[in-house]
Amino acid sequence: MKRAVFLSLAVCLALTGCSSGLTIFSNYRRLEMIELVRTVTVDAAEDGVNVSICGTAGEKQEARMYQNTGPSIGVAMNELTLMPLGRQAILSHTESMLIGEDAAKTRLDEVLDYVERFSEMRLDTGLFIVRDGTALDLVSGVAGKETPAADVVAGLAENMPKVGEGYVFSCREIAASLSENGCALIQCVRGEKEEKLFEDRGDLNIKPAGFAVMLPDSTAGYLTEEETLGAMLILGKYESHNLDVPVEDAVLTVSVDLVKPKIRPVFSDSGELERIRLELELQSNLVSMDGLADLRDEKLRRKVEEKLSELMGGALEKVLERERTLGLDFLDLEGICERREPIKMEDMPQRWEDIFTALPVDVSVKSVLMRTYDIIDPPEISGKEEGSPWEKLTESLRGS
Amino acid sequence: MGKTDRITERQLRVLLFVSLLSPMIRILPSAAVMLGGRAAWLSPIAAFAAGAALLALTRALRKNAPEGLGLQDMAMLGLGPVAGRVFGVLSALWLTYYGGFLARSAAERLLSTVYPNGNTPVFIVVMLLAAVLTASGLTKTVSRTAEVLMPILLGVIAVVLVFAAPDISAENLLPVTYRSWRDILYGAAPIFNVTAGFGYFLFLRGHVTAERAVRPTAFPWLAILSLIALAVTFFTLGTLGESLSITMENAFFMVIRNIKVFGVIERVEAVVVAIWIVTDFIFLTSILMIVAEIWKTVTGVKRRSFFVPPTAILSGAAAFLTARDAFEFLRLSEFIVPAISLAFTVVLIPAVMAVGKLRKKY
Amino acid sequence: MRRETSRAAPQVGENSPVTVAAVEKVFENCYDFESRELLIGGAPGRTARLCFIDGLVSGSDVAEQVIKPLTDPERFGGCKGAGEVIAMLLGGSVYVYTAKSRTQLGDLAGDLLNGFCALIFDAERTAVTFEVKSQQRRSVEAPKEEKVVKGAKDAFVETMKINTTLVRRKLRNPHLKIKEYSLGTRADTAATLIYIEGFTNEGIVAEAERRLSNINVEGALTSAAIEENIVDNPRSPFPQVITTERSDKFCMNILEGRVGMLVDGLPLGFLAPGTFSQFMKVPEDHSGHFIVASCLTLLRYLAVALTLLAPAFYVAVAMYHQEMIPTRLMQSMIEAKQQVPFPTAAEAIMMLLAFELLQEAGIRLPSPIGETVSIIGALIVGQSAVEASVVSPVVVVVIALAGIAGYTMPNLDMGSALRLCRFLLVLAAIALGMFGVALGCALLVYHLSSLESYGVPYMSPFAGSEGRHVSRALFRHSMTDKKDREPELKTGGGGEAKL
Repeated sequence: MKRAVFLSLAVCLALTGCSSGLTIFSNYRRLEMIELVRTVTVDAAEDGVNVSICGTAGEKQEARMYQNTGPSIGVAMNELTLMPLGRQAILSHTESMLIGEDAAKTRLDEVLDYVERFSEMRLDTGLFIVRDGTALDLVSGVAGKETPAADVVAGLAENMPKVGEGYVFSCREIAASLSENGCALIQCVRGEKEEKLFEDRGDLNIKPAGFAVMLPDSTAGYLTEEETLGAMLILGKYESHNLDVPVEDAVLTVSVDLVKPKIRPVFSDSGELERIRLELELQSNLVSMDGLADLRDEKLRRKVEEKLSELMGGALEKVLERERTLGLDFLDLEGICERREPIKMEDMPQRWEDIFTALPVDVSVKSVLMRTYDIIDPPEISGKEEGSPWEKLTESLRGS
Repeated sequence: MGKTDRITERQLRVLLFVSLLSPMIRILPSAAVMLGGRAAWLSPIAAFAAGAALLALTRALRKNAPEGLGLQDMAMLGLGPVAGRVFGVLSALWLTYYGGFLARSAAERLLSTVYPNGNTPVFIVVMLLAAVLTASGLTKTVSRTAEVLMPILLGVIAVVLVFAAPDISAENLLPVTYRSWRDILYGAAPIFNVTAGFGYFLFLRGHVTAERAVRPTAFPWLAILSLIALAVTFFTLGTLGESLSITMENAFFMVIRNIKVFGVIERVEAVVVAIWIVTDFIFLTSILMIVAEIWKTVTGVKRRSFFVPPTAILSGAAAFLTARDAFEFLRLSEFIVPAISLAFTVVLIPAVMAVGKLRKKY
Repeated sequence: MRRETSRAAPQVGENSPVTVAAVEKVFENCYDFESRELLIGGAPGRTARLCFIDGLVSGSDVAEQVIKPLTDPERFGGCKGAGEVIAMLLGGSVYVYTAKSRTQLGDLAGDLLNGFCALIFDAERTAVTFEVKSQQRRSVEAPKEEKVVKGAKDAFVETMKINTTLVRRKLRNPHLKIKEYSLGTRADTAATLIYIEGFTNEGIVAEAERRLSNINVEGALTSAAIEENIVDNPRSPFPQVITTERSDKFCMNILEGRVGMLVDGLPLGFLAPGTFSQFMKVPEDHSGHFIVASCLTLLRYLAVALTLLAPAFYVAVAMYHQEMIPTRLMQSMIEAKQQVPFPTAAEAIMMLLAFELLQEAGIRLPSPIGETVSIIGALIVGQSAVEASVVSPVVVVVIALAGIAGYTMPNLDMGSALRLCRFLLVLAAIALGMFGVALGCALLVYHLSSLESYGVPYMSPFAGSEGRHVSRALFRHSMTDKKDREPELKTGGGGEAKL
């Protein structure tokens, strides 16, 4: 009996290739016939949607773009991935998807659904909205001869949080936010014509363009740069960035590296939500100084810190105002308050949707200048007539 | 050096532990999150309590039963030969169907995850053929297989979860307060349904030797199973959030899909899916063995392996015919099959044991 | 020494009386059979026939120890009859340490074939045999296969007596038993069963005795003739008894509670029961530091996984699960594969076969040529095949890695079995992708779990030992640590090993 079973197993193996119902050969892909897609674009078209894929057929081969128009993303992509001469594009290595502004307004839910449903694609694929142009034009414009668009976009995605200019939300984050908050933030980019500094670059340079506030089937609005910074601070997507702080006779460039937002709901005695307190603690370091300023002076340091707090606080105020204006809780303040005070939030008599546009938010920013990186300015640079106590001591010791 | 088919208490527990990992991934975390919401990651703790209570009940019910008696033997003794046989036939028929359901479930999971253009028949046929081969052998061989594979399975799961940890977001898991107790209990129901599956393995107790196990009870194994359930729910819910965890059929594998291992391997989903195939295979083998054991006791035929091929054929028929498409299958797997399974393991099996106890048959 | 004869003993008219004519009839047409008449005490009229097999006996010993004293008139001159002569011969008048009286032809023939010379007294129908074995034998040398730097350098040789001596020297235990058996219906090969009475499990000893006694072969001249008859499942390619050429390893295993078998003509010792974890151990483990030895043992287990799974994993991923390959690697693989005309499955099978062919060629050829062939083969297969775009470089790397991992197996039979399984897993991967690999692995583990060796589960301590003692399989504990014996061997004399 065991032999019969073995034989059957062996027959099963032998049958592979003979019948499509009894094999998994429909999943077989020849490695040499694969076109590896790293970037996908979606733009609105007259009769549907225009989809393009940017991929390579090998390490030393040039990146190629293919596009197709279809009534839906699924149909367009299906025809696109089955390429001539038996080649097949695979989407499993797609790192980023760029959607044109117009397509984003009406097709965002379709894009997300496609990514969620299609087993090849990853949920952590980054999503961008392209403003002032089509995604296809941007991607074809930034690609150089040997630099594929995917590398350019990936570089931007990695650097943006480090310079406080944006954050690439993944399809997973966007889908979850849309589902739970009814809206989501998506990073926008635009192409800007720039002088080609070296041959390997395309004609366009990709620049961050703030966040878009999206609903499942429309665009609610776009955030400015400052509002985007504020959103990043609250959402914890901020890594670092440098900014200039003018103080007295100098302009100090500081690097803000550590940011800790604390959001607390404040309730009245009757349990009503009165206001939200937003406290931001940040740490900064001096990067460079233009002018004269003796940072050994504690008062001066306090002034720098206050100025910095003012600048960062401004970003927070602006994004909170924007949220109220749009009437959409894209910062998920409700969720933050629920995590902070779950019982009180559950018990409050008001409905969040009814109150949050008018809910006051008290913003306070506390910043600390941590270090100046090894340079202590001597009196001749700082401009002070008197030396430091240490210098006085050493002079007196030398004198004796 | 005779070919006796005896296993130890621990071997039986390992077998059921590895087997129960299979249905766990079918219901977790979607079913638990659907019922328990954001608090569902705590549901395994409640499920452990319920499972421990059921385990204690079955231990008490078979406390004075003679060694070497499986559940079917106890039923024949406790209910009488006729009623005992009726119970046996019912159990065998249900488990035959359940085996087919398992095979179909595994095949559907493969299609949804790593073989999108495949067909269910090839997976169902191959798994059943392999299970016939192994179920026709000795129980101790299957138990030893589970013993050897268990640390490998746990190791892979642990490594994968470690790499999935960075994607967890506390916002997806909180808030959970004392008021969430109802949600936690609701979410525990599908998990308890899985852990209660230990009841099926009582049919194999006839093979267990009289030697005392190092650990006297199976509670530690139940605890580890619950811990794995907690980890799976925690990581999936923490990564995807409540709504995505509910809408996705194989949410846990969706989380695995995004894992990268130091840039050396990406999307280890295929490996993890394959690992789970091993648990499906062990469970399917166990089911075939259990059914054959029941028929052997009911009919009095000495060779258990005689019943394995026809059981497999019937299970295969059930696998193909049970649902026309994935939608029907989803409905079955969300409501109908869990309900029947729960009725069997939580109501019928303890009732049969209780009758025997009350009639002082053991 | 009591000698157990296997059921199929040589048929030489065993019970026939001993006469010169009968012996000469048995050994007619044997050019190496010598027979001459000797004058006892130098006196004519009193003769005995000296018979021996030239080559098996030491001529000088026959002349000095047998002929010289026998023909000495001062010693045997006063004997009145053959009976007295026989009594004197058996009493020590001839300076040979083993003297036996034989009245049955079968026993006499057996003695002659074992390097004895015989003095046949026709009238008495009696022969007296003396052990005068030739010293032409291979001397004890260092082991060739199981080399260690810090261990003993005495390996087994073809002569069983020397081998048992090596064992006796290491295990000076009065309870060490060495029972002799005769194997082979036409070859009558001597074999011994070695164990420590009161310590080695009686059930294992009894089972080993039973299996040795039941060996039904014409001649036990190869290790397979022994092995396939004493294992539980001869159809499995996995080894189930431990074979070793090292006497120290042999003795260590006896001390752990195993039974050992030595066979005349084979420079190997067999040890039972053999479990999977035993085949992962090397003698070097006990020579080096225990932490280093433990790491190397773990490395061997990793090598098992690599050698089994690397080719199958690659095939499954390259054919069905390309999403697992990192982007940059994927790009270079696509680039490399574009010039190769064969599909991945064919590449993998071809490379595996080429590797096996190279290996076989390397074994068959004499050493100098074998090494050259290996180098050329590696160059041709490895480099030229890639440059000619017959195979892609990744396949070469994967197969080579798997092959090298296979060579780390301490036991050749285990390595061969794993190579066979590797092929099967590749076929499973081709047919069914990762699903096939997983199922194949599960079936392989099932097969290994189904094996038992003398009642001990093959996969112990990973299975069947209640989850304990697994560390013993994976690590070498320090010699100063308290150590329990392997419980599955069920040794007597207490569970704790005293080291």
